[in-house]
Amino acid sequence: MEYGYYPGCSLTGSAKRLDRGVRQVCKKLGHSLTEIPDWNCCGALEYGNRNELLSISGENLTKAQAMCKEIVVPCPACYKNLKDADSDKSFNILSPLELLNAENLSQIEQKRDLKDKVFFPYYGCLLMRPEGSAIKNKNIMEDTISAFGGDVDGEKMKDRCCGGNQLFLNKWVTEKLSTLILGKSKGTVVVFCPFCHMAMKTFAVGRKVIYLTDLLLYVMGENKSL
Amino acid sequence: MNEIDHEIIFKYTGYRRADFSVCLGCKICASVCTVNDLELNVNPQELLMKLFVGEIIEGDHPLVRYCTSCYRCASACPWQIRIPEVVRALKESLGIEARFEKAFKKCINIWGRVYEPFVVVMAAPDLLKGGYIKYMPKWMEYAGFHLPHKVKRVSSSKTSKGLNPTEEGRS
Ligand code: SF4
Ligand code: SF4
Repeated sequence: MEYGYYPGCSLTGSAKRLDRGVRQVCKKLGHSLTEIPDWNCCGALEYGNRNELLSISGENLTKAQAMCKEIVVPCPACYKNLKDADSDKSFNILSPLELLNAENLSQIEQKRDLKDKVFFPYYGCLLMRPEGSAIKNKNIMEDTISAFGGDVDGEKMKDRCCGGNQLFLNKWVTEKLSTLILGKSKGTVVVFCPFCHMAMKTFAVGRKVIYLTDLLLYVMGENKSL
Repeated sequence: MNEIDHEIIFKYTGYRRADFSVCLGCKICASVCTVNDLELNVNPQELLMKLFVGEIIEGDHPLVRYCTSCYRCASACPWQIRIPEVVRALKESLGIEARFEKAFKKCINIWGRVYEPFVVVMAAPDLLKGGYIKYMPKWMEYAGFHLPHKVKRVSSSKTSKGLNPTEEGRS
């Protein structure tokens, strides 16, 4: 399948690893991603004026209009904003998580398995809520981990908030919320949101924090270790 | 502390005053609010009612300061009232912006995108004071000095897809 691609600011900055991962995994699954030309920031969660936020995000959709009807958007904040801005639903806006399913997972040429390894699939907020802009299969990370033989933990904490967006404003808030989540889960933390990655990594002691793409690339034999 | 202009909150969120009259007072929002995990005992509904009746809201209200925009309240509310957006509108109306948020918006105004090194430099005084230095070793993987590769501006004044937030807010 051919998709438009909106990386957003963090995937061209601190979350470059997620960007590389998404591009690599999509290629393996036979999807082609074409970056929307001249895209701009989605506005993240910084704008108190909804009109302004939607117009900033909407601008990206205008730029995408001529090239595609389906856009892959990895960052959960961008994903939500673009969906909100697409008020007439003229696009199919997808998280890369929505490109994964039982069928294509079973077709992956598996070089390694995840046996005897425990993972905590952590989705955070914006992939799960609010319903109108959330991903459809809210177990896709669990499904993926199990498909390759890994064990899953922390079910109750998977959609709690890590406080990522308070990290540079009120650090103690993020510390308290992330620590709470980490304390009630075991194993390698698997995330998909750049902000969750930073919040979890900052406060996780003795736990690895990886993107789901790192895990997939490990299974595919592209990454040597987890 | 600045006073809030209630009308501006309605304008920013796309809600009308009457829209908040649908609130059932069920406090489901309060029962799921992440800020309560910080033991601050807040009730988002109380904020909405203050807006509804035109009462003052102080900028140091714990929800205004610590709401994480997690949307737990909005998705649990029977009316799906977008409370985090109300909180963000409150912050904007009260002019409560940390250096980090200012830097973020400034970056978008200049380049249309956020360039993290620029934000870090602008927010450096807060980062230095705030005790972030000790996390630097953990944050090495996020570093990478990239300069804006193209200058672009966002014309945020016009709505490019003919969006009407007021109507959206009511739907
Ligand atoms: S979005 Fe804010 S007000 Fe709503 S539950 Fe989360 S922290 Fe509480
Ligand atoms: S959950 Fe919704 S209806 Fe219930 S008190 Fe909160 S805002 Fe009102």
